[in-house]
Amino acid sequence: MSTQFDKLLPLLVNGGVEFVLIGGVAGNVLGSARLTFDVDVVYSRNKGNLEKIVQTLKPHRPYLRGAPPGLPFAFDVPTLRNGLNFTLTTALGDLDLLGEVIGGGGYRDLLPHTFVVEAFDVKFKCVDLPTLIKLKRAAGRPKDLESIAELEALLQEGEK
Amino acid sequence: MKMKSKRYRDPVVEAYMSGVDRTLLRENLKLSPAQRLEKLVGFSAFAATLRRAGQRAQTAKRR
Repeated sequence: MSTQFDKLLPLLVNGGVEFVLIGGVAGNVLGSARLTFDVDVVYSRNKGNLEKIVQTLKPHRPYLRGAPPGLPFAFDVPTLRNGLNFTLTTALGDLDLLGEVIGGGGYRDLLPHTFVVEAFDVKFKCVDLPTLIKLKRAAGRPKDLESIAELEALLQEGEK
Repeated sequence: MKMKSKRYRDPVVEAYMSGVDRTLLRENLKLSPAQRLEKLVGFSAFAATLRRAGQRAQTAKRR
């Protein structure tokens, strides 16, 4: 199943979840031409937000991506509080819920490096281009090298 | 000694940059962020359709 970006992002916004969009979808917002398959967000770790995340996502059957079926995974506030980064499948597609990211920190750290995007009839925060490049560099994954090159090219195109 | 303020350029990334199709980027930059996301949704659905067709073709070939 492909991720329904047009449903997943409005779901989070309408559920009142505080998040910053990062990763490949943020890259697309910024002009990247690369296809991506999941939504990556850095979420606020405050208690109210954890409750909103659970309320919003639970009806869409979140489960640990790649884990064998049938594990006793409880998607609740204690699980979110005791963990940090969750790679999930949901009925609307794959979602990475990240409490912190290498090179960027948490939600509050990223806030000064975001801008508001209006899409799918909702508004949400997206990380800016220099910060997205920084995050991808800090992640240090070989698979990101081509992507970083494209983002750097976007930065150059924007500077023209 | 003063550090140079020039941004670090990764030679591997630099090598990849010559292969980036900037015409695609320039076309995307003409769109609004919302339009870029609509495009992603369309491509994603298209890729899913292709993937299913490929799976069906492979299943049929095995029979």
